[in-house]
Amino acid sequence: MTDATAELKVTAASDIEVDRDALDQSIKEFAGPNGDYYVNAFHKIHDATSAVPNTFNLWAAVLGPFWSASRAIWGMFWTFLILEIIAWVQIGRGAWGNPGADLAERAARQQDRANELLGRAADATEQADVDRFTKLAENIQRAADSSLEKAQAAQSEALGIMITGLLMLLVFKLVQGFYADRIYEKQYSNWRIDPESTESGRSNRNIVLGAILIAAIGPLIVYKFTVNASLAMLDAFPEKEVSALILGEGQGTLFSTVATWMEAQIDAAALAGGDVFDGIVAGVRSVLDGLTIALIGSPWPVVMLVICVTAWRAAGPRVAIFTASSLAYIALLGYWDVAMETVALVGAAVLLCVAFGIPLGIWFGKSKRAYRAAEPVLDLMQTLPAFVYLIPIIAFFGTGNPPGILATIIFGMPPVIRLTALGMRGVPESIKEAAVAFGASKWQLLKDVEVPLASPSIMAGVNQTILMCLSMVVIISLIGGGGLGKEILEALQYAAKGPGLLGGFAILFCAMVIDRIVQGAFRREDEKV
Amino acid sequence: MTETVVKLTDVWKIFGARAEEAMTAVRNEGIGKPEVLERFNCVVGVQGATFEVPRGEIFCIMGLSGSGKSTLVRHINRLIEPTSGKIEILGHDVSQISETELRRIRAQQIGMVFQHMALMPHRSVRDNVAYPLEIRKVSKSKRWAVSDHALGLVDLTGYEDRLPKELSGGMQQRVGIARALASDPEILLMDEPFSALDPLIRLQLQDQFKALVAQLQKTTLFITHDLDEAIRIGHRIAIMKDGVIVQIGTPEDIVMNPADDYVREFVQGISKLKLVKAHSIMEPLDSYSGPTEGAPRADEGADLDQLIDLAVNTDLPVIITDGGQDIGVVTKPRLLRGIQGGKND
Ligand SMILES: Nc1ncnc2c1ncn2[C@@H]1O[C@H](COP(=O)(O)OP(=O)(O)O)[C@@H](O)[C@H]1O
Ligand SMILES: [Mg+2]
Repeated sequence: MTDATAELKVTAASDIEVDRDALDQSIKEFAGPNGDYYVNAFHKIHDATSAVPNTFNLWAAVLGPFWSASRAIWGMFWTFLILEIIAWVQIGRGAWGNPGADLAERAARQQDRANELLGRAADATEQADVDRFTKLAENIQRAADSSLEKAQAAQSEALGIMITGLLMLLVFKLVQGFYADRIYEKQYSNWRIDPESTESGRSNRNIVLGAILIAAIGPLIVYKFTVNASLAMLDAFPEKEVSALILGEGQGTLFSTVATWMEAQIDAAALAGGDVFDGIVAGVRSVLDGLTIALIGSPWPVVMLVICVTAWRAAGPRVAIFTASSLAYIALLGYWDVAMETVALVGAAVLLCVAFGIPLGIWFGKSKRAYRAAEPVLDLMQTLPAFVYLIPIIAFFGTGNPPGILATIIFGMPPVIRLTALGMRGVPESIKEAAVAFGASKWQLLKDVEVPLASPSIMAGVNQTILMCLSMVVIISLIGGGGLGKEILEALQYAAKGPGLLGGFAILFCAMVIDRIVQGAFRREDEKV
Repeated sequence: MTETVVKLTDVWKIFGARAEEAMTAVRNEGIGKPEVLERFNCVVGVQGATFEVPRGEIFCIMGLSGSGKSTLVRHINRLIEPTSGKIEILGHDVSQISETELRRIRAQQIGMVFQHMALMPHRSVRDNVAYPLEIRKVSKSKRWAVSDHALGLVDLTGYEDRLPKELSGGMQQRVGIARALASDPEILLMDEPFSALDPLIRLQLQDQFKALVAQLQKTTLFITHDLDEAIRIGHRIAIMKDGVIVQIGTPEDIVMNPADDYVREFVQGISKLKLVKAHSIMEPLDSYSGPTEGAPRADEGADLDQLIDLAVNTDLPVIITDGGQDIGVVTKPRLLRGIQGGKND
């Protein structure tokens, strides 16, 4: 009975031994130099059942970041490089720094002054002067004493700082020693999964790289924090000196040179392409004028009625009532014309976004290469703060409503392009194939299959574009755009709280009405399909 | 002799950027599918397919998934261009025709049905069926009339104005068939039309479809991965494996004389009752000496199923006739052997 169990155990153990052989081989292959040590360490780690480290890597502790660099454990390298530098800075401040230097100097100065006053007191002939100088000297002597005391206190603190630094360093070394093998074992596991992109072994390149990084970063930082009067060059980037070095003495800074150059370039481009830019402005203006005539030229009751009925048809009675009250608010407070101007501005921007965005989106949906090329531009259009591109827009297109619409388009167009492309790519291949199999041409395929099937996505893009265009209403007033945004801007300039709030609500209501109507229309659309 | 409608001659399809190179290597060095993948990173879809389909025949293409059935059939309407080989429809080489002519042929002469229906979800059933006509710019009134007629053929009258998603899977596939029939094409290409359906619905549709095609006399290429289906529907069956057509023959042919072990394995589980005919198991009349008085009679084309029906009611053998003339008998032992696998001991 016992024999059998023992035998069983022996067999099982030998089985495991066989596995270990393959594992050892792979660990050795991974670790390179010192393979035996890591085989041993990883075994211990594999056998461990608790999270408490059970190995200690002496070299990792002694060499610190240098070890992790040599083993290409870069995360560990940076963490402990920074931590060790912090510790070294403390040690440096304690050992070589002079924390009480300022105070000691002051104490010496005060002592001198006190002595000088005492001398004067001794020289003085009149009793009143003697008294006065003695009194002063006493006061200053007291101050000098207190400064000296403080200086000494700071001096003795230095020892404390140094000890703290040493303790920190010790702790970091221990942590590295204890966790080095565990971290390295993690790297080994990653290496097993993906040997191509996980570094293994010990390479001279990494040793040199680590040494350079440590040498470049460590001493400079320790020097900067340790020595009291450090070099000015290390405190701030020597921008003026470098500029002088590159451009020559007295030629201004790099900044001013590049800025001037860019200004000249933009001016030249604006001048050269003047006709094109004027053409674009004229085109945008004609769209805007059309909308403005419709919204402001028509009698207000007509416009109001049309908007309310649209709201009703698109989104139901509740939205219609909300729309009517919003419009009443706008009209009663005298915002009617400016509000309609805002709607015309947003409407023109949305129309242009859709007119150009959908064809572009269709193209990007069909051509992967075009989409890859356009993607960074789209990202830029969305992430660039509007204030940045307002300047070139002024340079090229001047100020007023049309340039404001152009700025709005830059910000608002990406969603409709993206979602159109997404929708196009989501059209099932099988349905496209069926249409082609029944003889559809490219154009028929596009109009009968691709666009209809992508339309929910396209509509979602249009919706997002509308909302993004609305959010630009105030910003474009900075470059002369009119409408409610301008009211807000003026109120802001004169800190006029009342008009600012009233105008703000007017914008809010406009935005909410448009948003509700559009959302409602989409919901209806969804219910239909 | 009936006219040949579809004819393929040594058609090869190799997918990948270096297909031409791979084709040359295949021709000159005779390398196989794995080597082509390894050396040129190209997938061989179809290898040297050659067959002819006469008018009115249902030609089944059977094979496991990935064996190249869809690829093969898509050559016929040139959804896929062959790497090498010739495809003819009614004597015209399809690789020679212009883009416009190709679209006309696709719209008028070839109807296609897909495994996943591939109906347009935003169009009504009627407009889906009418789409091949719409492409050809047929007037709306004509289109609608034709589409309603086609829907009638597949028993879907009354569903014209529904959207596809309101219909069950079987009904959707019938819409797909109606769409393929709408322009009254010469050829039907069916790419696993019933594979995605429930078994019961599938049986029903198979029968319906067979009757319909017999009535309309359409030349049909019917893809399936189910040998039972191929046997039920096909006049002839081509069996594909790894892009190669390993055997072409009538269902009886394939079941009785499988070309290789691969086909044999497929055929094993197939019931022979409907396949084996009386003439292949009967004993000539002269060599039979037992009583025949009052014995039931059957035509030489009768299958085992019918013979069993006749034999259960009598102790006598079944007399086999050809054009009214007695030519042989099927005794009970022979009938049992036939059921076993059609072998005459
Ligand atoms: N466009 C393609 N590009 C590359 N390989 C393809 C392509 N289409 C099909 N194949 C390959 O060709 C082989 C046959 O595919 P297919 O004809 O769809 O098989 P089946 O219809 O019999 O299931 C498969 O190995 C498949 O991966
Ligand atoms: Mg297929």
